[in-house]
Amino acid sequence: MSEMLEIVTEVVEKICKDLVTKETVDLLEEGKWATPLWQQLEDNELLKVAVTEQHGGANGDIADLLALYQLIGYYAVPAPVLEHTLANFILEYVGLAPFSSITTILLSEQPTLTLTNGRLDGVVQHVPWARIAQQFVTFAKEGEVLKLITVDLAQAEIEHATNLATEPRDTVSFQQAKVAAQVEINEQQLEKLKKYTTAAKLSAISGALDKAFQLTIRYSKEREQFGRPIHRFQLVQQHLAILAGEAAIATTAIENMAGALVGEREQFEVAFTSIRLDEASKIVATSAHQVHAAIGVTYEHSLQHYTRRLWAWREEGFTAHYWQRELAGDLLQVEDVWAWMTTK
Amino acid sequence: MKLPVVQFTKEQEQFRLEVRAFLQHHLKKGTFRKKCDSWLSGSDPAFSKLVAEQGWIGMTWPKHYGGAERSTIDRYILTEEFLAAGAPVAAHWFADRQTGPLLLRFGTEEQRQFFLPKIIQGDCFFAIGLSEPNSGSDLASVRTRAEKVDGGWLINGAKTWTSNGHDAHYMVTLVRTDSYDPQHKHQGLSQLIIDLHAPGVTITPIPYLTGERHFNDVFFDNVFVPDAMVVGTLGNGWAQGLAELAFERSGPERILSTFPLLNELIAELKKANDLVGLATASKLLAEMWSLRNLSIGVAQVLEEGGEVAIPAALVKSIGTKFEQKIPEIARLLVATYPSLQAQRAFDRYMAESILHAPGFTIRGGTSEVLYGIVAKGVVAQ
Ligand SMILES: Cc1cc2nc3c(=O)[nH]c(=O)nc-3n(C[C@H](O)[C@H](O)[C@H](O)COP(=O)(O)OP(=O)(O)OC[C@H]3O[C@@H](n4cnc5c(N)ncnc54)[C@H](O)[C@@H]3O)c2cc1C
Repeated sequence: MSEMLEIVTEVVEKICKDLVTKETVDLLEEGKWATPLWQQLEDNELLKVAVTEQHGGANGDIADLLALYQLIGYYAVPAPVLEHTLANFILEYVGLAPFSSITTILLSEQPTLTLTNGRLDGVVQHVPWARIAQQFVTFAKEGEVLKLITVDLAQAEIEHATNLATEPRDTVSFQQAKVAAQVEINEQQLEKLKKYTTAAKLSAISGALDKAFQLTIRYSKEREQFGRPIHRFQLVQQHLAILAGEAAIATTAIENMAGALVGEREQFEVAFTSIRLDEASKIVATSAHQVHAAIGVTYEHSLQHYTRRLWAWREEGFTAHYWQRELAGDLLQVEDVWAWMTTK
Repeated sequence: MKLPVVQFTKEQEQFRLEVRAFLQHHLKKGTFRKKCDSWLSGSDPAFSKLVAEQGWIGMTWPKHYGGAERSTIDRYILTEEFLAAGAPVAAHWFADRQTGPLLLRFGTEEQRQFFLPKIIQGDCFFAIGLSEPNSGSDLASVRTRAEKVDGGWLINGAKTWTSNGHDAHYMVTLVRTDSYDPQHKHQGLSQLIIDLHAPGVTITPIPYLTGERHFNDVFFDNVFVPDAMVVGTLGNGWAQGLAELAFERSGPERILSTFPLLNELIAELKKANDLVGLATASKLLAEMWSLRNLSIGVAQVLEEGGEVAIPAALVKSIGTKFEQKIPEIARLLVATYPSLQAQRAFDRYMAESILHAPGFTIRGGTSEVLYGIVAKGVVAQ
């Protein structure tokens, strides 16, 4: 962990601890979000951690961002921190300038927007936080050419919708909207963009996984039945051991993936992490709920903030399903699996 | 463990078609919308009334209470058709499944005459009052107190997780009619029928994780219950409750809570002509079939008055795991964006299944507790 990263995580963690309570996350249900938190992060320049110095940022790298996203997941942060910072990182990656106004991003396998003479048409579903964001970064097709574009959301028609965790995932429609910037994306860039967006989501997932695990340990010590804390029952111990295993697998997968990405030596790490965390999400949500029993399926208990995010996030962006198909394609070309997995 | 093989009669096959036609008719008419977990989270008193008009509530009960004296297997057929269609049967569910049989077995003639006809007409719903904040798996530790007064009992305490308590008229409540002795905690427990509209009863919703209302807290503050509302023998509440559990744990609702999703999964796979996906789905059907054999076998033994505690615990522990698995497998076969508001039925059933699945292996006794029952049972045999 770089020194900067240590400071950043410490500050973000402190801000989250102070400002993200169960009630803050609940705000989403009323269609609100954590504006004071956003303000704090902005005031502390934390939204610019990975923006280059040239644009007034701290010049962090993708690993710094991913560490930040683990905290976003761990605290179920009800604000578009991931989307905004990732959008800016990606804009700079393709040579565009980052935004300081709230920006969201959605990259998908099959872009639904079309671009003609600088005008944008079409509908995109499940856009995170569109209702509060000002800028939108996404893919559009100009004929057969894939472009990354930015567009001011003031020109869009926005219909509110949410994911399973009640996070805003709006339907955004454009009719002859003017794009602010556009860049043609080549094959190699496309691969990178897919990996960055997937890695970002996976980091948030690993944070939520870890939180569900921590909540379960805590509850198993607090709750007593038959005159003893439930962690004394062997079948509960089995759940705790399973959770510990999944949490360890997830954290090390994320760190190995981040290392590969930052060292520009990534190969299959994102795909493997995606597939393995998809499985981990299922196992962790199941065991965490089972140990909490009835109290865990209530709105009042915070476990649902994390498990509902796991259920929602695993279906978003480039999913495990997508990466499995990619790997299937790769495997067709691989002659020796062992060599492929172990030799650079 | 040997369970009977049940062969449906011609009349029974005919009855199944009749029920199916009724459900299709109302589905088409828009009387109800198909959903997963409809037996616990789909309460619709108006629909229950329609079911009652068919003579399908309390259909196995004696004719002189208004029942039809049909067999347990007939009722089994009825229930599984309702579940497969995702029909909203939650309002009358507990009264039909549990309270009626309880009263027929242990109730007084007066209780039967008062409650059974009302239940049968779809005018009287029951809730199950077992769990308390500090008594979940350790149910015998319940503390809700009944104090003897002239002509009845005075109840103080609280029940929790009471499913559909807000729609129910009465609750069969497990209370302590004798002082609590930690050495003999199964003693001194009794089952009382409490009128949920009586003075001193407060019912407050416990929002489910989706924010919806399913279960409730029920508080008792000096609630008077007449002697006539004691079910069975005073102090025998634990043993009577155990008898109920066999009905509670072995039915098709421990297998079919997510069947509408499985059905829709196969429809989607067929549309896509996805043979590999259908092959995987066929594995789920094999599981369903084998669980159903077990569950129908238990129903038959129950009809004959046999002992089914162990197979009932098995149906529930294996069956609920199966129900829980369906959405996890379905999402690997058909791309989905689950949402309760989704247009596409598959995405909607998916959201319902995922959000309700955690409860399957908790309600009615957690899997861990059931494994304990099964293991102890097979060792003792
Ligand atoms: C959707 C839903 C509807 C419900 N409806 C009703 C209702 O209508 N009426 C009603 O009375 N109740 C109802 N319940 C409550 C249900 O019966 C209890 O949740 C259940 O008995 C477990 O109790 P608990 O939640 O207190 O968990 P606990 O008993 O606190 O269990 C916590 C964890 O510890 C484990 N554990 C506890 N003891 C042991 C042991 N000895 N060995 C191994 N593991 C153990 C459990 O398996 C679980 O994983 C409902 C619950 C749900 C989820």
